Amino acid sequence: MKNKLLFIVIIGVIILVIARSLEFSLAPSTAPEEHNSNGSRLFQLLSGGHVEGYSQAIEARSFQFPEDHGPHQGFRNEWWYLTGNLDSEQGRRFGFELTFFRFALKPGRLQPGSNWQSNQVYIAHFAVTDATKEQFHVAQRFSRGALDLAGAQAIPFRVWIDDWSIRDNPTPDKGKQNEGRAVAEIEDWVLTASTDELSLHLNLVADKPPVLNGTSGLSQKAAGQGNASYYYSISRLSSQGRLQIGEHTHTVSGISWLDREWSSNTLAGDQQGWDWFALQLSDGSDLMFYNIRKIDGSQDEYSAGTWISKDGEARHLSRDDLTLTVSGEWESTEGGAYPARWEITVPEQDLSLIITPLIDDQELFTTVRYWEGAVYVTGYKNHTAIEGRGYVELTGYVQ
Amino acid sequence: MPVLYRASLGFLLRHPWQLALALLGICIGVAVIVAVDLATESSRKAFLLSRDTVTGAATHQIIGGPNGVGEELYTRLRVEAGIRSIAPIVEAYAEVNDSTIQVLGVDLFAERQLRSFTFDVKSASAVTGITGESLFSSFMTEPGAVLMSQRTADTLGLQSGDAFDVTVGGKSFKAKLLGILDGGKSATPDRLMVVDIAVAQTWLSQFGSLSRIDVQIPDGDSQQQHKVESMLPPGTQLLNAAGRTRSLSEMSSAFMTNLTAMSLLALLIGLFLIYNSVAFAVLQRRGLIGVLRALGVTRGQVFSLILSEGAVLGLVGAVTGVVAGIWLGEQLLVLVARSINDLYFRVNVTEVTVSSFSIAKGLFAGLGATLLAAAVPAMEAASYQPRLALTRSVLEHRTSRVLPLIAIAGLGIGLLALLLLHWSGSNLFAGLVAVFALILGFALCIPLAVKAITSVMEPVAAKVAGLPARLAVSGIGANLSRTGVAIVALAVAVSATIGVSVMVDSFRGSVSAWLEKTLQSDVYVGTPYGTLDRGLIEDLVKIPGVEAYSTSRRVWLEDASGRTRLIVLQMAPGSYAGVEILDADPELVWRQFAEEGAVLVSEPYAYRNAVEPGDTIKLMTGFGEQGFTVAATWQSYDANAGAVLMSRSTYDRFWNDSKVDSIGLYLSPGENIDELMEQMTAISAGRQHIIMRSNREIRDRSLQVFDRTFVITDVLYWLATGVALIGILGAMLALQLEQARELAVLRALGMTPAQMGGMVTLQTAGSGLLSGLAAVPLGLVMAWVLIDVINRRAFGWQMDFLVSPGVLLAAVLFSVIAAMLAGIYPAYRSASSQPALAMREE
Repeated sequence: MKNKLLFIVIIGVIILVIARSLEFSLAPSTAPEEHNSNGSRLFQLLSGGHVEGYSQAIEARSFQFPEDHGPHQGFRNEWWYLTGNLDSEQGRRFGFELTFFRFALKPGRLQPGSNWQSNQVYIAHFAVTDATKEQFHVAQRFSRGALDLAGAQAIPFRVWIDDWSIRDNPTPDKGKQNEGRAVAEIEDWVLTASTDELSLHLNLVADKPPVLNGTSGLSQKAAGQGNASYYYSISRLSSQGRLQIGEHTHTVSGISWLDREWSSNTLAGDQQGWDWFALQLSDGSDLMFYNIRKIDGSQDEYSAGTWISKDGEARHLSRDDLTLTVSGEWESTEGGAYPARWEITVPEQDLSLIITPLIDDQELFTTVRYWEGAVYVTGYKNHTAIEGRGYVELTGYVQ
Repeated sequence: MPVLYRASLGFLLRHPWQLALALLGICIGVAVIVAVDLATESSRKAFLLSRDTVTGAATHQIIGGPNGVGEELYTRLRVEAGIRSIAPIVEAYAEVNDSTIQVLGVDLFAERQLRSFTFDVKSASAVTGITGESLFSSFMTEPGAVLMSQRTADTLGLQSGDAFDVTVGGKSFKAKLLGILDGGKSATPDRLMVVDIAVAQTWLSQFGSLSRIDVQIPDGDSQQQHKVESMLPPGTQLLNAAGRTRSLSEMSSAFMTNLTAMSLLALLIGLFLIYNSVAFAVLQRRGLIGVLRALGVTRGQVFSLILSEGAVLGLVGAVTGVVAGIWLGEQLLVLVARSINDLYFRVNVTEVTVSSFSIAKGLFAGLGATLLAAAVPAMEAASYQPRLALTRSVLEHRTSRVLPLIAIAGLGIGLLALLLLHWSGSNLFAGLVAVFALILGFALCIPLAVKAITSVMEPVAAKVAGLPARLAVSGIGANLSRTGVAIVALAVAVSATIGVSVMVDSFRGSVSAWLEKTLQSDVYVGTPYGTLDRGLIEDLVKIPGVEAYSTSRRVWLEDASGRTRLIVLQMAPGSYAGVEILDADPELVWRQFAEEGAVLVSEPYAYRNAVEPGDTIKLMTGFGEQGFTVAATWQSYDANAGAVLMSRSTYDRFWNDSKVDSIGLYLSPGENIDELMEQMTAISAGRQHIIMRSNREIRDRSLQVFDRTFVITDVLYWLATGVALIGILGAMLALQLEQARELAVLRALGMTPAQMGGMVTLQTAGSGLLSGLAAVPLGLVMAWVLIDVINRRAFGWQMDFLVSPGVLLAAVLFSVIAAMLAGIYPAYRSASSQPALAMREE
């Protein structure tokens, strides 16, 4: 669930329009207050947004793949969220994030005419964590969803802005794992993204089928009909490829995580920000949990998660199925502080985990300012040592 | 203050008129130079600045042919090649509330890389209630959403949130002023509105193509450049952005050079005037100088004294000239900008940018000219023998001795000028230098001619009108050291009047005849800044009474070397007579033109590019560069650097562009044009706003533009003439004052005041007549050079030499009247002088 991030990005768009008119920052160079998401005020602005004319996430629906990998144009916002932990052949640790956001500016269809007409905006964030060198690289792109400059499609699967894309592999990998699905159904994708200083090229093959979060994929984010999204994840994608940083090219491999979510809803005014955890554990199970924080500092009752077994079976976790404790803090060099160490227990699974960022500074100064970084996990399951890797996203911490 | 300088100051203050006139001469000369410089530079800078702002950080631009650049190239560059520092542009001109406004269609997502003004928007919410989010999304999704600068909005009488109509290519669209471009750190161009690229395409009905793609390639990144170039389809080019702007601005450079030449003419005449004043100041003090020399003052001291006087005069005159020039420049700017708009490109300039360079130029020219003019009399003064200086006759003797030498020098300079003309090919600057040399050379011969004429005329005058007349005539010749320069100055000014008048008359006559011939259709139909709808054309030509029609398309073809105007004609049977073929058999030419893909080139094009029939010229077509055979040269007075004429069928083969800019309709005999126009208005109503003009109207309008262009010329040569008038007034005044004693003797000998006044008047009138007569041949030579050398070199035009005797007569008459006017006051002074008082001077 990236609802909060979604709203922050929308707010980001609003802020940048208000504060700097239509200025888009492609580099983390502008003053910090531009990236801020002042919770209450932004909620007010957002709650004033129009949802008429858009589809709403009101009841559970049946998901079809690969169709649902493609866009859902009737909804106002949507994203393709890919994060992963990678190792190079030389043993260096890396993390990456490549996210595509789709926003509709206006509901409805366009009049025929110019191909440049569009009510769809795409934004992408690309970040690479170089744990060994303790460096963090970020880049951002914008485009209108027109003229094939940016867009998303289901068959063959492709989501892209300029030359950044995640798309169906034109030369599929024969060695796909089979989890009881037909080979053709297994996601076999290629990721490409590059900036002036780095480029990432990965082959991604799903180890598990998509799991539906929330109630059959309907993820309630706040009280009230429609304050929800459709949300599924592919918690393990075997990833192999090349990562070039500066003059060095690393052959890398690892595991990635895909989050897919779409909605048109607005959020409740008392929500401040949220923490999202996507953890892949050494016993083959995976854990996703989002913790929504209220403005008064308490945990929102709509916080929830999913536990995914080694075989890909999903189990919904409500707020009460899990405890989350912050045990460390990091002060951003640009001001503000983020939590930097957590302890999670899932009594039902007899699971207790300690989650630590790979490096502290994985803060993104894109149109919105947030923290999204690779983490490592240690802990116990059934009194047996367990470890893991994952990604954590923190929003709403910096005013 | 050293005693020498005090003596000098005292003298000048005792002769305030002379001082004032000298200063006025320098002042006007400098003012004209500064004014022309400021007006042309301001126009040029305004144009370059607005272009540069719009170009932004783009170093290169990808351009296509008449149809623009296919938009899929943009996607390929971004998505396939991953090139990000590019931005698509669709440009148009729109009419809003009777003003023409540039439309810049942009993709805001691509703008940040290249421009900042396009998205620095003031929050419009206070005025319109539009929130930031919807401001952005409205810009992209609302049809007709517009951003513009505050100044542009004020000009159009619009406020944020206002809805208004825009007309693009004759079609009306609804627009809404969404917000005001803030400018902020960067200048926001005026008379420009920013719209989403989809809106611009819709207004232009130009779907699928872009006007250009702006590209930023880091300095020296040839790899990136090759990457872009390798992806370009045929007919599409990557050109240097600054180079494009430069070559566009250079289209008007010939026009501006001519204006500068005009301003130099004013200074040249001013130069004579300055010389005149300083020379007088020296002559009148010959006694004083003789005494000073006798007292032991050295030659060097005398020389530097006179030169210092000149320097002070020059400085004061130049400074006041600069101030006056700035004012005059503002007046001229309106005229210059209008002509550039008429002839070349749109320039939006409302105020003079005062550049220190222009001012420095004016000061330098004023001071330099004064020193130069003062140097001769200063040397003269320094050369006086202490004793001889006291006698005036020595001086006149010497002047007579020098006259033939001066004339020989003049002949030599004239000869050099002719040689320069002959050897300098088509260089405009050399041509202008030669013009000035010719004027100078001719001017130097005038004094000798005057001397000769007066000595011939003397007995004649005596026989006809008695002694005063004889004295008057001989006075002109005998006082050449003082009158000579004034006569020359007036002659040069009047000859400039003749030269420019004859040139303009010839030009206008040729253009008028050319228009008469070219405009063969009865009615022309077009639309402002746009092309005619195909369907509409078909309906218009179906109107009963329309016997035949021609179509025309005018496009610019551009490559790294510059721009070429291509005129594409689908000719009607009557159209052929409208193209005057200069150098080949028309029948053959038209066959090659229609069937063999040959082209015609305009006379300026042939001159500029040294092209002859049978040559092949290269043009950038939709399939890349192609060669075309030149069938002939045709006569054209296009203001641009020349044009290429091509048949529609040839064009359709090489360019994928079916657009038509205008059509010419040929009516059946006896058809009423007004009725036809009414029908056309009815047919086009609600479809496209068309402009219909009869051939007579177009001819009149073209001549109006022509006349408007020469208003500046008029202003400039009247100023030059003003300088000359001041000169002759000063000279006559000084001469009469100088002759006071001589005249007093005449009075004492019994001449009546009336005879006295008559004699002085006759003398000035005679000087005027001689100036006028000398001006005629010089004026004709100037006209010839202007027509056959300057215009040819500047614009490539050739025109018939038309001299109306009226112009010459008027010039001579003007010269006489001017001189007489200048002589009124001196004559009055002489007539009313008290002989005893005047003789008591010594």
